This record gives sequence, structure tokens and C-alpha cells, in this order.
Amino acid sequence: MVKEESPQITRRTTRSSALAKCPNNVVEETNASSQPPPTLDDLVLGEEGESFSFDDLVSSFPGRQSQIKELVNLLGPQNSPMLPIFMYGGTSTGKTSILLQTFRHLKRPFVYSSCLTCYNPRILFESILNQLILHRKNAENGYSSAKRCERPSDFVNFVREALVSIIGKLQGQKSGKLSSKRSGKANGNMIYLIFDNLERVRGWDKGSTVLPLLLNLYDTLKMPELGLIFVSNTSPDTYDSNMGYVESNPIYFPDYTDDDLGQILMRNQANKKLYTSFLSVVLRPFSRITRRVDELSTAFSLLFRKYCEPVTDLRVVPNEEMKRRLFSHFQPHIAPALNEVFKVSQPCTEVEARERKQKGRTRKSGGYDVVDQLDFHMSTSAKYLLISAFLASRNPATLDASLFDSTGGSNNRKRKRKVSEKSMEQKETAEQELLMKGPGTFPIERLLAIFQCITSVAEDPLDDEEQAQDGLGIQDGHGGLMSDVLLQLTSLCGANFVVKGGSCPLEGSTRYRSTVSEDMALQVARSIKFPLSKYLYRR
Amino acid sequence: MAPSSSSASSGDSSTPDTTQNHLQHSFVLHKASEKLNSSGKARRRIDLSLTKPDGKKESDESCLRKEAFQLVWSRIESTIKDVLRNMNAHVFNHIRSWVWDSFNAIKPFPTSCLGPFPFVSQATCTQLFTGLLLTNNMEFVDDILTFQELGLSLKSHGCHVANLSSSDFSSKNGISGCLTSLFRHFLMPTFDAADMSIFASWYSQQGNYGYPVVVIIDNMEQCCGAVLSDFILMLSEWVVKIPVILIMGVATTLDAPRNILPSNALQKLCPCKFTLGSPAERMDAVVEAALVRQCSGFAVGHKVAVFLRNYFLNQDGTLTSFVRALKIACVQHFSTEPLSFLLGWLLVKEDSKGVQSEEVVKLASELLSFARNQMAEQSDVKIAPGLTELTRLQKLWSTVVLCLYEAGKCNKTQLLDLYCEALDPDTSNSLASDSRTAIGKGFVQSLSSDHCMLEQNLSYRKGRLICQLVCRVRDLPASLLCQLLNSWENLTVDVLEIHDKVKELQSILKFEEGSCKPDLIEISRRRTSRSPLKIGESQSVNEKAAILMDCMVRDFMKPIECTPFHEIVCFRNVENLQSALIGDSRKMIQVDLLEFHKTLQCSCCRRSGNIPLPSMPDTSIMYTLAQEHGDLINLHDWFQSFKTIVIQYNRKGTCKLKKSPLKKRKERNESENKSEAFIQARFCRAITELQITGLVRMPSKKRRDCVQRVAFGL
Repeated sequence: MVKEESPQITRRTTRSSALAKCPNNVVEETNASSQPPPTLDDLVLGEEGESFSFDDLVSSFPGRQSQIKELVNLLGPQNSPMLPIFMYGGTSTGKTSILLQTFRHLKRPFVYSSCLTCYNPRILFESILNQLILHRKNAENGYSSAKRCERPSDFVNFVREALVSIIGKLQGQKSGKLSSKRSGKANGNMIYLIFDNLERVRGWDKGSTVLPLLLNLYDTLKMPELGLIFVSNTSPDTYDSNMGYVESNPIYFPDYTDDDLGQILMRNQANKKLYTSFLSVVLRPFSRITRRVDELSTAFSLLFRKYCEPVTDLRVVPNEEMKRRLFSHFQPHIAPALNEVFKVSQPCTEVEARERKQKGRTRKSGGYDVVDQLDFHMSTSAKYLLISAFLASRNPATLDASLFDSTGGSNNRKRKRKVSEKSMEQKETAEQELLMKGPGTFPIERLLAIFQCITSVAEDPLDDEEQAQDGLGIQDGHGGLMSDVLLQLTSLCGANFVVKGGSCPLEGSTRYRSTVSEDMALQVARSIKFPLSKYLYRR
Repeated sequence: MAPSSSSASSGDSSTPDTTQNHLQHSFVLHKASEKLNSSGKARRRIDLSLTKPDGKKESDESCLRKEAFQLVWSRIESTIKDVLRNMNAHVFNHIRSWVWDSFNAIKPFPTSCLGPFPFVSQATCTQLFTGLLLTNNMEFVDDILTFQELGLSLKSHGCHVANLSSSDFSSKNGISGCLTSLFRHFLMPTFDAADMSIFASWYSQQGNYGYPVVVIIDNMEQCCGAVLSDFILMLSEWVVKIPVILIMGVATTLDAPRNILPSNALQKLCPCKFTLGSPAERMDAVVEAALVRQCSGFAVGHKVAVFLRNYFLNQDGTLTSFVRALKIACVQHFSTEPLSFLLGWLLVKEDSKGVQSEEVVKLASELLSFARNQMAEQSDVKIAPGLTELTRLQKLWSTVVLCLYEAGKCNKTQLLDLYCEALDPDTSNSLASDSRTAIGKGFVQSLSSDHCMLEQNLSYRKGRLICQLVCRVRDLPASLLCQLLNSWENLTVDVLEIHDKVKELQSILKFEEGSCKPDLIEISRRRTSRSPLKIGESQSVNEKAAILMDCMVRDFMKPIECTPFHEIVCFRNVENLQSALIGDSRKMIQVDLLEFHKTLQCSCCRRSGNIPLPSMPDTSIMYTLAQEHGDLINLHDWFQSFKTIVIQYNRKGTCKLKKSPLKKRKERNESENKSEAFIQARFCRAITELQITGLVRMPSKKRRDCVQRVAFGL
């Protein structure tokens, strides 16, 4: 979640390091069953002998110099005890990447666990213990953990044991430095536990057991060789901090500024000049909406392709005139893309939407053509049911009688009008309230009543038309429309068009709510030639 | 691969069962099951046996019919399966190449360098490649098989595949539930906690590494959004180590993922859209293969066809239920029609001239003569030639229908509609009456008069689909017409009469193309304006094609119900099918409650009419009484009227007016307060039964003294 925005330069180096390691891995691949047992070195990130200086670190994270410095200062020199660190900041501000890269720079052993991947206490505990005990799950041990640990108290005992042994190893390694060549990889005898996505823990049994345990771990264990680092996207205030924990050192990662964003986004571009001119057009409007690097980079990757469409040679250095030309070509795409930022970027959607619009405009009167317009197939009775659900959600229940009662319609309407004259203001506030509330809920009886009304109304004109059109008609179709309405309702619920409130169906108090947009409802109504707008209660 | 494949296959074999079970639930509740149907079949068979004097022959015959059914239905079923598979093959190929492309784009790190701890490396790309497979149908039943086949096809191309269903993403089981079911596809079921690191270490094993992991979620709309988004976030955190590619089935629109997932999960998806064939397309393909091309010889009558069409369009909209309806029709046909076993004989004969055919024909003629004896109206008819004639006519009919369909393809005529109309005996009758006047005229000579005739006919049968098609052929541009003629040529290879004419037309068209190509467009434009004068003089190919089409329809397209012996192969009983398929249980409950004496057939309650009698079952009394109320029934009133009726019985019972053996024991309870309690108990039981059948609803908190009637009318 937090690490996407890592710098391209470092990525390149890691990629190359990974590549460099490849031959080794291929060998390991072929006899994967006999993977070497994990060693202490596996707790350290980065290659042995690789030099990753502080300047490299800072230069790879533009706009984060102060945070990196603070982090390194808080971690302190080798073998110095530290208070827990609490890193926080919005999504995609570089918390995890910076932390990991800092450890790569410092070459200190650490244990990383993300509370997103470790989705319950047991898996979190076991994942930490496995790493500390240097245990690897594989087919031989039946993918089991080193220790089965479900209770927090067990965890504390186990983790103390494991820490003692591993710290002993680290110290031993240091004293016996000369004996092995690889021993130099881990610096110092501190070990750090990193808890990423800490905000997730609040959701586990309401944060009542595990969260205090983790925040209090420093006090509980009382081991100076242990460093704790929490990473979260919410500030420490959102965790009950007045519980008597040791106050942790917070590091705040603010959102990037426009300049930082520009620098970050520029990094892996082949043609920097062209991309600069692109960014000058795009970045300002977009950064008002989001400053998340991951969102911006996905949005921009698509847009940049569009921007480059008129350019034949991608290595060209744009001059002013060309920039202007590109801009005029590109401008119409910006505004729609702005709305698209929060949505899933689909290459086909726009075309699709356009097609749909065109279809909507040139709608045909044939029996099937209109069905196509909907993009997906629904049976006629399901369509009627959907419309009745929409009406039931949209219209106030009190209006049903006047809308659907064909016999008593006139006098009802009179009465309604009188009422509305009397209390216009009251009505207005009620309307506003309705608008704020969104679609209303309704019991199934009301739905069925409306359904019956609109199918019986629609029956007559539809039959005439159909019979005139093609001799088949739907003669016995509508008579039977009622027969498995409940089945249709279930499938509407399944398609998320109607949402069902949870309660016992035998009691009959279940209420439904239609979640269909008006456009969609109108589309459906059009496909069965139902005059929906006549029945809508306009405010 | 070896260990994984065995575990994966074992996992796979378990999944269809679960999905099946998952669905079975709704089948039993809402739809007529086949079980119910087979009981109907049994009953009918008993009826038949009553009329048959010869027991041995009867059993012989029913056995033959059973065999014939097996033969015919297996033929239809396999045809449908093939058709659907072929329809999907194209999309599957697309998906497969996309999977490998995106796998190459991911380029997972060599896993062992990543260490045992789940940290995410520094790639900006934590996006999951996601295929959104639009199924184009709100109902999902049709596509369960599709997704399984997709899984198999990907598996056969080296991917690791897990088929997950929406029930794996329930909020009840949470993220661990869906991870467990995911891992179950790959690992032995012995792991204790579903942890992603297990999955990573599995993937790094020899044989597993280097292939994409495809996770197929068949119906994402029904997934719990929170669980699905957790799942996506988790997978995206690991995608660098395990190259997971998601394929999600979307039943409605592309908005569905947006509605379900939060934006941070959407952010992780890198979607790509695929579309399966729409239900209408699939339906056309199935109808073409199974019914028009007559893979099995089994056919349905016009009314049945219209019913099936309407049921598909209005009620259900799934191919599954269409196929089921077809099967029910087939079963009913073979169980009711004594001569239906000849259909099996026809099939066998078609395949190879079997030895047993003689025997069967003999039996058939015996049966026929037996039937004749009973009906005593027909003179003797040779059955074997009659049957061959029937198949010949059928072939002609299907050829013509396919030609018409070909003509209608350019403007998206649905085969289902065309099929229904082509089956209509009325159409054929009206056509036949026309053709009587036009007989002997052939189709090229005396064009002008024929043309007038055509116009007349067209105006007479205006609005008919077939006539519309004929009209359209006239306005067809030359290139399309050429295409059409080519396809006709292929279709009519077996029918010499039409084939020759088509060839003739083709040669004319070629000649025209050679001579006056520049004019062609103009001519066709002129034709569209269609001033009768010009058409009269230019005997255009279009006109001739249209006339040929008309002739084909008139002379060769004989609906099955107009041919002799059609009873053998054609199912026409639409009422039976309807009741078997729709059922309408709620209505049946009400009818049974009100007209229970039809079922019980007791002597005591027959005369009642609408007046409740004490000898009636309690529930019936209660429901009859409830008819008098509106939607709210006061419990006290209801009880009082119930009591009066029952007590009236008790008094009468003492007078020994009536004695049904059932109620005798009640007579013994003479003491008043005892019977009061007893009546109350009966009242309660009856009302509970009504509640369970869904006819009344229990009192609400607002009105404690009233129950609400739920179902009104029949």
C-alpha cells in the first residue's frame, strides 16, 4: 500500500542486483526441494558487499530528506537502544519504501510483517516467530509454522525466547567475525521488528487485545536489543495512546508537493523533455484531486500515451510550437480523465460508453434491438420488477394510490393537490429530506403491488404493438409474468440491483432498497417501452 | 508440476460439486425439478398400460421408448455442449494469450532471493492484471460451466488455475475462508493456517515456478465487497513474488467493480475486458444446432416453440432453463407418445442400416395396426415410407429455414423468432392457398405477374418476419447478395431443386457484375426507391432472389405439424410442459386449499360449494373463512367463526347426522372446556400451516390482534 512510489533509481539497482543473483537462483530453482536453510543473513536486506550510501538513499526519495534523516537519527548508531518509532502518513507517501531502504543502507537485521497480509493474530505471531527462529515453510514440513501460537501470552514467551537466541547469535557472529566470510553482512546486534499497516489491527476483535499487546511490546519484553517500528496510515492519536504505553517517536510523512511529485514522476521517463511538457499540462489539475503517487502514475501512464499520439518519434525534443500543437490535441482528454482518477482505468470503457450512448440515441423499435442497448440480458419480467423496485424506492409510499389506481385516480389527485397547496413549505422540506436520504426502503408487498400494477398497465398497449409487429406476440407471456417473481427478485438481489435488508423472511419484516441509478432505470424502461417518467415523482 | 497437478485436480473435482450444491438450493425451491417430471411420466405410463392388452408387448415398447429417449437426448445434449464450447473457444483463446502476455509483463522475481519474510520489493507495479469477463446475462446459471471450461483450457496450457466461486467470498468466512479455498486448489489440504507465505513457498517449488497463477472468480457481483477488496490488496502485495492473474466474471455492466470495491482496491487492478457471447446469440446457435438442423429428429410443435421463446424472453432468460424445458418436452414426448420409439429407429437407421431395424419396423407396424384397430378410422398406411417422407420434408424445411436465417443475418434477425414463425401451421396454410394459384408458374417466367402476386401476398401478410426478409432481399446491395447466394449454395447442396436455381442466380449475378458493374450501385439505389415501372423492366437478380425465396418458403417449408406422421417426432402438448416447468406453487396451494375435495374425494364435503363445512380439514376451513376478510384479519373474529363451524359439527355429530371416520375420535371429547382448548389448538395449528405456506403473516407489533393476508387471488 505504501511502497509503490519507491524511486526508480533504486528499483533499477535492485532489479540489476536481482539479475546478478539470477544464476544462483536458477541453481536453487532446479533443486528447490533442497533450498539452503535460512540464515541470519536473510534478515538483512540487500547484497553482501553492496554499498548503498546515505546519499544514494536520500537522492532516491525526492522531498523526503528530512524524514530520512529523522529516521536514521532515531534508529541511532549501531547497538544503541531505541524507543519505538511510529511512522505515519497518507497512503503512498513512501513510508514502507523509505524504511526498507534505510535498513538496506544500514545493513541491520529486521523482521518485517504486514498486518494486511497477516490478517489475523495467529498468522501475525507465527510469521514473526518463523522469521526469528529462521524457519521456512515448505513442502517437507507440510507448510507448518515453527511454533503454533494463538494466544498473546504465548507469543510474548515465544518471542522472548526467539529474541534471546537470535541476539546471542548476532553477538556470537560478531565475536567470531574472522571465522566466516559472510558474517559481516549484519551490522550490530540489534534486531528490529517492523509492523506495517498497523491500522488494520484495530479491526481485529475491536483492537482490544492485539493492539495493546503490540504497542506495549517494548515494555513487556524490556530488551534493549529490540527495536520496534510501527507503520500506519493514521496518526498515533487514533490509537488509544493514554493506556500507559511507552511514548513512541512519531515521524510524519506529509503529502508530496507538486515539485516532489514532478520529480518522482519524471524519474523513469525516457524522453524527459517531452514528459516535462506533458506534466506541465497535467500535473496541476490532477494534484488538486489526488497527491497519491500510485494513482497519479497509473492515470498518467494512460494519458501520456494519448499525449504522444501525434508524435511520431518519441525521442523528439519538443519546441514551443509543438507543445502548443500537442496541447490543443490533448486538451479535450483532460477533463474526463480527471473524473476517471478514482475509477478503474479501463482501456475499453470509453469506447464502450460512447457506443452505448450512440445506441441510446438511435434506438430501434425492433423487439430485440432494444435489449442489446442494455449491454446485458435480462428477462422481461425482471425488467418490470427492476422498474417497480426503482419506483418503490424513489416514490413516497403515500403516492402509490394516486399513481397506480386507475379507477380512483382523479379524485385522489384532487385531494393531493389540495394538500400540496396547503403545505407547500412542509412538502419542500420533506422533499429535501428525501433527497438526502437516498433511495428509500420498501417491503416486498409494496414491490409486488407496484409490479402487478405496471405489468397490467403495460399489457394492453404492448400486446397490440407486438401482434402488429410480428405475429408471435407475447400472448401468454404477461399472464405468466407473476409466476416466479420471487426468483427474479433473488436474481436482482444477486446482481446488486436490489439490496435486501437482513432479517428473518418468515417474520416478513424484510425491507428492500433499489440501488439502480435513474439512467439505468430509464434505459431498462426504454427497452420494454415502459413510460417510466410518467410514474416518477418529480420534486 | 507433478505434485501440484494431482492436488489441483483433486481440488477441482471437489469444486463442481459444491457449486452444484450451491445452485441446487434454488432449483428445488423455485423451479419444477426433473424428479417431479419423472413421476408424471410414470403415472402416464401406467395409464397407457391400462389400455394395452398385451403386457409383454407393452413392456417391450416402453423399453424401446426408453432407449430411444436415451439415444435422442444424448444426441441433443452433446450437440448443445459442442455448440457452446465452440462459441466460447474464441474468447478463451483471447484470454489465454492475454494471460501469458501479462505474465511476461509481471516477470516475477526469482522467489528464493526474496527471503522468508513477506516484504514487498520496490517495484511500482503492484497492480494485478485483471480480466473482466462480461457474461452479458443477469442470471448466472449458464456460465458456471463456462468458467470451469475456461479453467480447464488455461490449465491445459500450463497455468496454475484456481476456480473460486462467489460463495468463497462471503463476509461470514472472511478473508481466511477465501484464502483457504484458494490454497486448496494448489496445496495439500493439510496446511493449518492459510497464510500467503505458504503460497509463496509453494510457488517457489520446482515445477511450479515459471507459470502464471490464474485465479478465476466466477461471479464477482455476489462477492462480499470487503472480503474481495482485502483479497485483492493482499494479492497485489504479493504479486511480485507470485504472479497472480485475476479473471472475474461480471454479469451486468463494467460499473459493477466500481460499485463493489473501494477505490484503493480498484487502484490495484489493471483491468482488461472480454465478452462472452450474448444469451441471444447462444440461444440462436443452440436452436440452430438442436432444433433446426435436427441433430436428433426430435421436434417441437409451434405452440411449444412459442412457449419456449416467451419463457426465455419474459421469464427466465437462461439457456439452462431452455435446455431443461427441452428435456422435459422430450421426456414427456417419449412417455406419452406410443409410437415415439420409432424416432430411435430413425436415428439408428440414419447412422447405419442396423439388423434390428426390421424387427423394429415390424413391431411398429404391429403397433400401428393395433392403434388402427382401436380407432378404426384409417385405412392401412405403410409406415416406413411415411417416415422417410417425413424426414425428407423435415430436411427441406430446415434447409429453407437456414436459408432464411442466412438472409436475415445482416439485419440481426433472431433465429428463435424465425423458427417459431416457420413452425406456424397457419403461415403455411395461408401460403399454400396462395401457392395454389401460382402453381406451375415456376419462378422465372412471367415475372411481372408473379411480381404483382408477390406484392399482393406481401401486403396480405404484412408484418410477418418471413415476408420482411423477402422484402429485404430485394433491397440487398450486390455484394451482400453475392455473399448470401454463396451461403445458400452451401446450404442447399442436398436439395437439388433449390441448388440449381441458386447456381443459376449466381451465374446471372456474375454476368451482371462483368457487364455493367458501374451501374450496379445505381440500380440498387433505384431499386430501393422501388418505382414499380422500373422494376418491371429490369429483371434484377435481387428480384429473382426474392422470388426464389418466396418459392422456397411456399413449396419446401412445410411445418412439421402439417406433415403426416408428425406425431411420432413432434411434441405439441404445451400445457403439460407449462405446468411441469412453471409449476406456480403458490397458486396450487391456494387451489388445493379451496378445492381440496378434488384431492380427498370424500363423500361428505362434495356438496359444499363455498360454505365451509365442519368435516373439511381445518386449514381449508380457515382459508375459506379468510376469503371473506380484507388484508387484515381479526384473530378473534376468525377464531369465533371457526369455532362456530366446528361446534356446529360437534352438535351435528351428536345427532349422528354425519360420521367421517377421521373425526370420530373427536366425538368422544364432549366436555365443553376441553373441547374449547382443543378447538384453540386446532386453530393454532391451522394458522401456523397457513403461515408456513406463506398465505398469512403473523401479527405485527402495532396490531397484535390481526394477522395479515399475504396472497390474494389466484
